[in-house]
Amino acid sequence: MRFIRSVTDVFGYSPFKAIHKHSEYCEIAADLLVDQFEAFVNGDKNKIFELEQEIDDLEHEADKIKQEIRTHVTKSLRLPVDRHDLLSFLSYQDQIINYIEHVCHMLTYRGAKDVDKEIERKFRKLLHKINEIICKYEELIDHVAKLIATSFSKKEITEVLVHVNEVEIVEHECDIVQIELHKLLLNSEMDPFDVILLRDIVIQLGEVANSTARAADSFRTMILGR
Amino acid sequence: MIEILFIITVIVSIYMAWNIGANDAANSMATSYGSGALTLKQIIVIAGILEFCGAFFFGSRVTHTIGKGIVPINLLDPHIIAIGALSAIFSAGLWITIATYYHLPVSTSHSIVGSMLGFGLAAVSENLLKFEQIRWGILSKIALSWIISPVAGAVMAFVIFSIIRFFILSNMDIDRAEKIFRYLQVITACYVAFAHGSNDVANAVGPVSATFGFTEAPSWILALGGLGIAIGIATWGYRVIETVGKKITELTPTRGFSAEFSTATTVLAASYFGMPVSTTHTLVGSVLGVGFAGGLASVDLSVVKRIIYSWILTIPIAAGLTISIYTVLVVLL
Repeated sequence: MRFIRSVTDVFGYSPFKAIHKHSEYCEIAADLLVDQFEAFVNGDKNKIFELEQEIDDLEHEADKIKQEIRTHVTKSLRLPVDRHDLLSFLSYQDQIINYIEHVCHMLTYRGAKDVDKEIERKFRKLLHKINEIICKYEELIDHVAKLIATSFSKKEITEVLVHVNEVEIVEHECDIVQIELHKLLLNSEMDPFDVILLRDIVIQLGEVANSTARAADSFRTMILGR
Repeated sequence: MIEILFIITVIVSIYMAWNIGANDAANSMATSYGSGALTLKQIIVIAGILEFCGAFFFGSRVTHTIGKGIVPINLLDPHIIAIGALSAIFSAGLWITIATYYHLPVSTSHSIVGSMLGFGLAAVSENLLKFEQIRWGILSKIALSWIISPVAGAVMAFVIFSIIRFFILSNMDIDRAEKIFRYLQVITACYVAFAHGSNDVANAVGPVSATFGFTEAPSWILALGGLGIAIGIATWGYRVIETVGKKITELTPTRGFSAEFSTATTVLAASYFGMPVSTTHTLVGSVLGVGFAGGLASVDLSVVKRIIYSWILTIPIAAGLTISIYTVLVVLL
């Protein structure tokens, strides 16, 4: 609109909504991964590829958001948190969806024929835990808006710290399931190629949980380091 | 002849007042709209009435500074003053219109001061005044007030918001706190409108007051300026309020209160000292203050650079335009 002089220039780009959106993509991708694993177990090739594409698209969208934030959070902005803390936190959060994407590709490498029932069960458990950790993480990120609204009140910060703790607890639980899965896989009678594939997947899923915990940790650093 | 020049000066002044109402008054009020404290209609009515009151009851000091403080008009004859006043208001109005078109964050206060300076320099070039007779002392005070006012706004807003943060936001439910401040913000909105009227009316009617020379300018010119501002808000300002208000929803009532209160206090103090400051720049300073106190998701400091550039640009352009128009008028008349 022409013929307007306005003060709006003083309001800078705010990355917080975009960060929230990015974390939502992580959550959706983790959900889709569960479906993709079921398709993998059932040997439903079409569905596996379909979901691979969906997760791949989500990762791509998340990447765009990351780029947007990185290009807009310039030196001239004054944010309520440290700029470097924010950007390093963002890169950890981005790792979550990156590792999910790795797994979605791995599930297309080959069809596993006879996955041991016990292993299948444990895999579901691990995926369930991955979903849980990302849900907990999402709850943490949900606090961003309120942190800003209350201008980082002590009460809000305390609540956030509780969530970070919860994420860390679930991360530990993921570790335990991972160890059990490694043991089962390396001692199973399954086709060695299947074992290799599944073991790689377990490692990558572990990275999903680790990245989530790291993102939560750097979120804590970010809001305490003000 | 002088009568015709006077009438044209008054008409251009009304245009300037309209422009001030349409843009600057609207910006100051937009915070109240953005936070949902007031509806558009309420804002137009409140702003119209209070801008007028500020202009009429408290606008004379700054008007005196603009009209008689920069150029020693008691040393000039009425014919020259009439030409000078018209050149000054015309070039200020022209520059503001051009700058607004290009979205430059210029200030009407800076424009009119530059223009009056141009008038003085034109008189010097005609040997009607000596260079030293231009009131450089007052001009440097004005320049200082342009630096002090945004800084004062920023510091005050920083302190006020920090107090709100420590005593209210940390103890009270955020929604309740914001609700209470929504009512308080109605008061600060009135305060801003009053302060703005008291300071910015001079940018429109200062040159008119100069044409009265020695005698005290009649109060009807303040009323005319106040009316012009009110009409500006009602006929164009509401669009600006809507556009700006929608973009600054981040400025919730607690933040809006802090920024508005600081802006109004600073600007009203400036009016008291007769200093023509920029309300918009003071508001920008105040918003930055809230941002530095951790009240906003993001503030962009590059706006400061843009404001300084527009400052540096405005003075010579407004002065140069005035000198050109003055020269043409002197040749013609």
